Amino acid sequence: MKRAWSLILAFLLAASALAACSGGKNNDGGGGASDGASGGSGKRVKLTAIMTKHALTKPFAEMEWLQAAEERAGVEIEWEEVTADWSQKKGALLSSGDIPDLIIGPNAITDADIAMFPGLFQDLRDLIESHGPNVKAMFEAKPETRALATQTDGSIYGLPKYQRFWPATATRQYINQQWLDNLGLKMPTTWDELFDVLVAFKEQDANGNGDPNDEIPMDFAPVGTGGFGHFQPTVLLGSTGITLTNASGQGYFMEDGVVKNFLVDERYKRVVQFLAKCYAAGLINSEVFTQDYTKFQSVARGDGNTAKVGFTWGWEVTDRFGNTLAPQYVSMAPLKETADSDVQVSWDYTYEALNYGVNMVVMSARSKNKEAAMRFINELYDPVVSMQVLFGSIGPNIKDNGDGTYEVLPPADPAMDPGTWKWTSTWADNGPMYIADDLVLTLGTDMQSVGAQTEPLMPALDAIDKENDVLPTMFIKYSPEDNSTLALNNTNLMNLAMAKFSQWVTSGGIEQEWDNYVKEVERTGLPQSLEIIQRYVDENKRNQ
Amino acid sequence: MAQATQTASGAVRTAAGPGRRRSAWQTLKRDRQLWIMILPAIVVILLFNYVPMYGIQLAFRDYDFTKGLTGGEWRGLYYFRQFIDSYMFADIMRNTVTISLATILLGFPAPIILALILNQVRWKRGKKMLQTVVYMPHFISIVVLVGLLNVLLSPNTGIVGYLLRSMGYEINLLASTSAFVPVYVLSDIWQHCGWNSIIYLAALSTVDPQLYDSAKIDGAGKWQTMRHIDLPAIAPTIIILFILSMGGVLTTGFEKIFLMQNTLNLPVSEVISTYVYKIGILSNQFSYSAAIGLFNTVINFFFLFVTNQIARRVSNISLW
Repeated sequence: MKRAWSLILAFLLAASALAACSGGKNNDGGGGASDGASGGSGKRVKLTAIMTKHALTKPFAEMEWLQAAEERAGVEIEWEEVTADWSQKKGALLSSGDIPDLIIGPNAITDADIAMFPGLFQDLRDLIESHGPNVKAMFEAKPETRALATQTDGSIYGLPKYQRFWPATATRQYINQQWLDNLGLKMPTTWDELFDVLVAFKEQDANGNGDPNDEIPMDFAPVGTGGFGHFQPTVLLGSTGITLTNASGQGYFMEDGVVKNFLVDERYKRVVQFLAKCYAAGLINSEVFTQDYTKFQSVARGDGNTAKVGFTWGWEVTDRFGNTLAPQYVSMAPLKETADSDVQVSWDYTYEALNYGVNMVVMSARSKNKEAAMRFINELYDPVVSMQVLFGSIGPNIKDNGDGTYEVLPPADPAMDPGTWKWTSTWADNGPMYIADDLVLTLGTDMQSVGAQTEPLMPALDAIDKENDVLPTMFIKYSPEDNSTLALNNTNLMNLAMAKFSQWVTSGGIEQEWDNYVKEVERTGLPQSLEIIQRYVDENKRNQ
Repeated sequence: MAQATQTASGAVRTAAGPGRRRSAWQTLKRDRQLWIMILPAIVVILLFNYVPMYGIQLAFRDYDFTKGLTGGEWRGLYYFRQFIDSYMFADIMRNTVTISLATILLGFPAPIILALILNQVRWKRGKKMLQTVVYMPHFISIVVLVGLLNVLLSPNTGIVGYLLRSMGYEINLLASTSAFVPVYVLSDIWQHCGWNSIIYLAALSTVDPQLYDSAKIDGAGKWQTMRHIDLPAIAPTIIILFILSMGGVLTTGFEKIFLMQNTLNLPVSEVISTYVYKIGILSNQFSYSAAIGLFNTVINFFFLFVTNQIARRVSNISLW
């Protein structure tokens, strides 16, 4: 008896172990099966779709604009709303081959996925021609959107978005005006003036709380080991005439049509020397290289009503300093390197990355109702619908002025900020959209203030030669070999350069080490990388 | 005790059948219940540890999205050569070996010493409480632990940073290249020492109390009991665990180093696992990172094998 039991037990254990590992594969595929057999005239066509939405976003059934769009397209969509673990779900979903009619979300299906699963996604070219007038209108009005959507062989699987209203740069420069006033200082316009102002911030009681030692004159966002990012002092390179493109994380930028890397540029050396001078004088937060982003944000919020940081970079003033301290800060124009410098100052140019997105929506090649699905996609790209995709339904979120103009309404809940309100009400930036340039829409306060805070930077941003001084990173699709060469070279380059950057800023020594460093950088394969990128940039130019 | 086991098994043998050597089939048949009980474990290990090994060939092939794991073009040792010729190779190997050797050399004896000391504590309740307190940190997740380190060592607001500054040392422990390895190893010992000592305490609990009594009668002090009774009792455990830890000589773990990494300590904190993450996951170089992983495993296996051989020659204790 005992023996029989132990046999049964062992068998059950083995069986359950086997079942557990085979079960994982089947689970996800079933949910997405499309039952598109119904297609009778008059009746709405049933479709299935997955959307990767923001965790704050409310259920789709409550979005008036979406219900209306589905009705106009004559479809009824069964939504699966995904907020987390998409990459894991995606793997199982794609390898099962049983995908829903539509997958929507910012780069939810990447070019790599499309290449990895040939035949799974629909080439949309013919459908756009026959059923997508709004998409065609976008391609005609904004030819760059067609370039973003087109694969190297000319096919179009994922459609891009254009959201128009976002500023031309992600990074704005802020200084505490109240501190300047307290100490009777003028707004700095050059590096040297900035240095003097920061010294005054440090040595005197700029925030007026009686403690002259609690001021942090300068702070910037944590510098990662994989490259630079936004809100970092690399924007000072603008003073020397270098235009960063989307923060130029790995140093690549373009100047007069030539691809270069600032990490081996003499002008970068001067920026680092300036930062080292500031650090040595105790003007930069001593934790700047070890704090994380949360700490970086919370330090600038100060304690209660007392500001702690004098000069820093950020996206928007209330986001950076909190509602209480924000009024103390003003947005600054780019600095000149020296008073007698005649270099045209520049800044970080991020317009493309902030206003365009790729692969926002893809269609299954096995969908039984491709035309209906395309009709729905076409609805989304109608400018008035797109506006509601981004900001919410006409009624609760947007006011229709009746004369073809629109206005974004403030949050219904006064405790909520406009950004959160937008993400709660609708798909927002995660949706496919085309905000036509001729659509008249008054923006909410958050977007208006971002716009206003970008004003001081506008002369520099307007002066940028977008043809020859902005690296068209978004529009380049590298071949797999070139991509892997670049990836390897850049990993090596970042290992060397990021360590050196922080070392030079915190302990100096750039003068002695620079020449050796430049030689080392060549060894990481930089000349080869520059040559590859240049080739693609030239080709991209020829195709325009 | 060893003698007792021998006689017992001898008795079974004579009962089961004639001849001292028996065929594999007969042992299988005799122990069939045990084999059935262990079957699920064998299945799991085969399924999850051996079957996926077919993916190793990725290290010798180009990874091609369209053709799957086994379909890419055969490149032989190309990716291994690429790694060894790589610009980062020397630095990565040096950092990895430094960190893991320091962890083994300092981290390995610590739980042994702790176990020997705990074993001397006579006050039962105090001993139990102490044991619980020292092994609790083991359950702190690594993210939280590194968060703790960041808070404690922060030069402006952390208590350790503050103490150091008040003693006149102007050093940022989170950023310095010379402090990275000590901070890493010491926090590792603090976290895992108590937990790792459990296995030695278990070994010590098997020591016959009569041995202690007779040692006391012979006039042995605490130190002598420890040296002549406790240490020999746990020596086999120590050797086996040491062999196993040598099998991880190039394995530094990923999360903790990755979380502690910043641009200032990068020259000493870039190790094989973080490099593989950057190359393989962030840059999609699957073949290259598979090759690095395999290279790592082969070297680990080599060390495991050599240590095992040495241990077998010297002390007759070994894994196989």
